[in-house]
Amino acid sequence: MQERDRELRGHSRRRFIATTAALGVGALAGCTGGDEETETTTESGTGGEVEQIGSGRSPFGDRDISGGVSVAEMPDLSGELTLYSGRGKALVGELISFFEEYYDDFTIRPRYNSATELVNQIQTEGQNSPADVFFSVNAGSLGALKDAGRTQDLPSEVLDLVRDEFHDPDGQWTGTSGRARTVPFNTDQFDESGIPDDIMAFPDTEAFRDNIGWAPTYSSFQAFITAMRVLEGEEATREWLQGMQDLGVTEYNDEFLVSQAVADGEIGAGFANHYYIQRILAGRPNAPLSTAFTAGDAGSIFNVAGALVLDTADDSELASNFVRHLLSAEAQDYFARTTFEYPLVSGVDPIGELPGIDELSPPEGLDLTQLSDLEGTVELLREVGVL
Amino acid sequence: MATEQQTGTGGGDDEQPLGLTVASGAVAAAVVVPLLWLVKTALEVGFAEALALVTRPTTVEVFLNSAVLVTLVTAACIGLGVPLAYLTVRTDLPFRRFWTVVVSLPLVIPSYIGAFAFVSAFGPRGAFQRLLAPLGVESLPEIYGLPGAVLVLTLYTYPYVFITTRAALKSMDTTLIDAARTLNHTRWESFKRVTVPQIRPAVAAGSLLTALYVLSDFGTPAIMKFDAFTRVIYVEFGTFGRDTATLLSLQLIAVTLLILTLESQIRGDERTTTGGRSGSPMPLGKWKYPALGFAALVATVALLVPLGILFTWLAQGVAATSGSLAFQPEYALNSVLVAAATAGAATLAGLPVAYLAARHPSRLSSVFERATYVGYAVPGVVLGLALVYFGSSYATPIYQTLYLLVFAYVIRFLPQAIGSLRASFLRVDPALPEAARTLGETPSGAFRHVTLPLVAPGLFGGAALVFLTTMKELPATLLLRPSGFSTLVTHIWTAYEQGYFGQAVVPAFILLFVSGLSMLVIITQEGYDVK
Repeated sequence: MQERDRELRGHSRRRFIATTAALGVGALAGCTGGDEETETTTESGTGGEVEQIGSGRSPFGDRDISGGVSVAEMPDLSGELTLYSGRGKALVGELISFFEEYYDDFTIRPRYNSATELVNQIQTEGQNSPADVFFSVNAGSLGALKDAGRTQDLPSEVLDLVRDEFHDPDGQWTGTSGRARTVPFNTDQFDESGIPDDIMAFPDTEAFRDNIGWAPTYSSFQAFITAMRVLEGEEATREWLQGMQDLGVTEYNDEFLVSQAVADGEIGAGFANHYYIQRILAGRPNAPLSTAFTAGDAGSIFNVAGALVLDTADDSELASNFVRHLLSAEAQDYFARTTFEYPLVSGVDPIGELPGIDELSPPEGLDLTQLSDLEGTVELLREVGVL
Repeated sequence: MATEQQTGTGGGDDEQPLGLTVASGAVAAAVVVPLLWLVKTALEVGFAEALALVTRPTTVEVFLNSAVLVTLVTAACIGLGVPLAYLTVRTDLPFRRFWTVVVSLPLVIPSYIGAFAFVSAFGPRGAFQRLLAPLGVESLPEIYGLPGAVLVLTLYTYPYVFITTRAALKSMDTTLIDAARTLNHTRWESFKRVTVPQIRPAVAAGSLLTALYVLSDFGTPAIMKFDAFTRVIYVEFGTFGRDTATLLSLQLIAVTLLILTLESQIRGDERTTTGGRSGSPMPLGKWKYPALGFAALVATVALLVPLGILFTWLAQGVAATSGSLAFQPEYALNSVLVAAATAGAATLAGLPVAYLAARHPSRLSSVFERATYVGYAVPGVVLGLALVYFGSSYATPIYQTLYLLVFAYVIRFLPQAIGSLRASFLRVDPALPEAARTLGETPSGAFRHVTLPLVAPGLFGGAALVFLTTMKELPATLLLRPSGFSTLVTHIWTAYEQGYFGQAVVPAFILLFVSGLSMLVIITQEGYDVK
C-alpha cells in the first residue's frame, strides 16, 4: 500500500518532470515551479526538543543537533523582510514561522512562486523590487540574478559557514542545503568495493550487464549528464551513454523507482539522488540497499538550493543575517528532516546512513549554475536514442 | 486610426455617440497600454538575434502545429457546445438546470491539470491501463501528441461555446421556429434556417474565445508532448530569456490580430433581431436517454477523470501532508471575492465597448472591441510580467494589491464578457428601445428598461465566463497577488507542485463546489425577465 502510494505519486511526478525536462526548461507557466524534486513527506510525530523546528521527526530515530552554529549564537533579526521564495510553502512555511516566533520584532513577507518566475519578476521590477532575499531551489536561478547584476556581496560570516564549492566564488549567493548524486546498490549482490569510484568506468563494468537502471527523463539525471558534458566533453558523454545502452541499462520513470528496483533486487545498482535511497530505507529499514559514491566526477556532483541578498534590499544587514539563519544548526537540521536533503554546514549530519558533508568529494571547478541548462543534454539524449 | 464619423457597412445606424465612444476607447486603451511593456522589452533583443529567432524553421513548423490544434479544437468545441446548449435550453431534457451547471464546470478546471490527469489515467502506464491489465489489455491508444491535446483542450474549453450559445438560445424568439414549422419546415430545416442565423454571432463569439485560448495555452500541449508555438516561448522563459520570450509573445499577438481580422471579415451580416418570447420546450421523445447519456458522458469524462485521479492520490497519499498546507476557508472566500469583483468590473467595462460595437458599427468601434482581445491572447505569465512592470514602476501604491490583481484579470478576461454581450446586443431589435423613446423614455431609461433586460442572458453568461475563468487563473495570480494572499487555485498549485497531491484534493473539490454554486446563482439571475 505504502509502496503503491509512492509509486503512484512518483509516477505522476515523473510525468510532470519528464515534461519539464523534455522541454529543457525550468518552469512551465504556473504549472510547474520548483522543478527539482525536493519537497516531500513530513511524517508527523511527537514534537519535543527546544531547538528542533516543527514536529517532524527523523524516521531513523532521535538526532543530535549539537553541531553547527545555533540560532542563539547569531545576530538578532528585527524589522520586516520581503522574501521571494522559489521553495514552496510546504517546506519553508514552518521555518519562517519559527524565525518569526523566535524574535519578537521580526516579520517576514513571503512570496511563493517557481524560482524561474521569481527571477523574471525581480528583473521586471528592476530597481523598484520590494524583494530583500531570494531563496531558490537551484543554483541556476541564483546564477541568473548574479549575472543580471542584481545581487550583493554576502559577508564572510555567512559564506564561511559552508564549503567553498557550495557558495558562489564571488560571494554573491550561498547554498543552504543540497542533494548528492549517488549509486544505490543491492547489498546482496555487491560490496561497496564492487562499485567503481569512477563514473566513466561504469559502461565497462560487466557486473552491471542487464543489471543497472536509470531514469533519463528526470531533471536531476539530466543535470548529471550536463555535468559530464562540461567535465568530460561532448564526445566522451556520447560514448558513455552509448556504452550504458550497450550494457543493457533498464529505464525507469523516476529515481525513486530506480532505488526501489535496487532494493527489490530487480537490478543490482542504479543512478539516483541520495534522498531516494533514504526514503526507501525509512520505510523498509532492512532492505538490502546501500549508497555508493563516485569521486570527483559527474557522478558525484552535488547540487544546492540556496539564497542571495538582492541589490534592492532595504536593510542589507538584516537580509544577510536572515540568509545566515538559513545556515543555523536548527534550519540545517530542519532541511535534513523535512526533505532528507544534505545539510551544508559541517557538524549537522544528514538523515540516515550517509557520510557527512565533509566526506563527499564532488568534482572541483564545476559551476553549479551551469547544471540547470538542460537543453543541450536533452538533445544529446535524443540523438543517442536514450529518450 | 479611423475617422470618428465613419460608419460600417452593415450598420446603417446614425452618428457615433460621443460619450459612448470615449468610454469605449478608454476601456480599450486601459487594457492595451500595459502590453506596451512587451514592445519595450522585445526591443531590448538585438535586431539580428530577433530576426533569426522569428524566422527560424522550427518557428514555422510549430506555427503550423498550433494552427492545426486551434482549428481542430474549435471545431470540436462547437460540436460539443452547441448541442449541449440546445439540449439544456430548448428541450425537455430532465434536470436541465443541473446539467447546465455541470457541463459549465469543466471551465474551472485548469486545462493543464486536466491534461496531467488524463496522462495519469490513460498514459502508457497510467491508472486505467493498470486497471485493464488483468483483462489482457496490453496497451491503450496513444494519448500523447495531437489527439490527446485536442481531446483535453476540447473538454476544458467547450464551455465557452456552450455558455455563449446558451445565452443566445435563451433570448431567442421561438415563435419564429413555430412559424417555420407551420410553414411545413422539418425540425432540422427550421433549426437550420431560423435558429442557426440567430445563434451564429454567439457561437462565433464562443469559438473565438476558444481559439484564442488554445493558441495561448501552454501547459496542455507541453504535457501532451505536442509542439505548439507557446512551447518555444516557455523554453525561453525557462532559460531566463525573458526578452526573447517577450519578442515571441509579440509574434503570438500578431497571429491573434490576424485571427481577429479574419473573424471580422467572415462575420458578415449578423444583424438579427428578436422579441425574446419563447414557447414550450421541444419534447425529446425517444431521444431523451441518448441526450441524457451525451450530457452525462461529457461531464463524466471532463470532471470525473481529474477528480478520480486526485481522489486516488487522496486515498493513497494520507501520509503526505504538511502542516503548512492545512486548508483554510479563507482561500475559498478569496477566490470568490476576486472572481466576483472581476466579473463585475469586466461586465461594466465591457458594456460600452460591446454596445458601441453592436449598435454603432464603424471601423473605430470595431478597433476598440478587437483591441480588448489582445490581452486575452497573451500568455498569463507575460501579461503578469507586463503588470509587474507597470505596477512596480508607475503604480507602486497598488502594486501587489488586489486592485492591480483584479485589473490584470479584467485585461485577461474582458473579451469573454464583451463577446457574449455584443452577441446579445446584436439580437435586440432597435425598434424596441426606439418605441420606448417614443413613449417618453430617456435614452438611458430606454436602455435600462428595454435593452438591458433583453441582453440579460448574454450579460450574465459573459459574467459567468469571466467568473469561472478567474476562479482558475494561476500565472498572473502568482505574480501579482498581495503577499500572503492565497486562493483555491494557488493553494492547489502549492500542494500539487510540491508533491502533496492528497492536500490538493480538498481545495479542488471546493473549487468545483463553489463554482457550481456560483453558476447556479448566475443562472437563476439571467432568467428573471426572459421567460
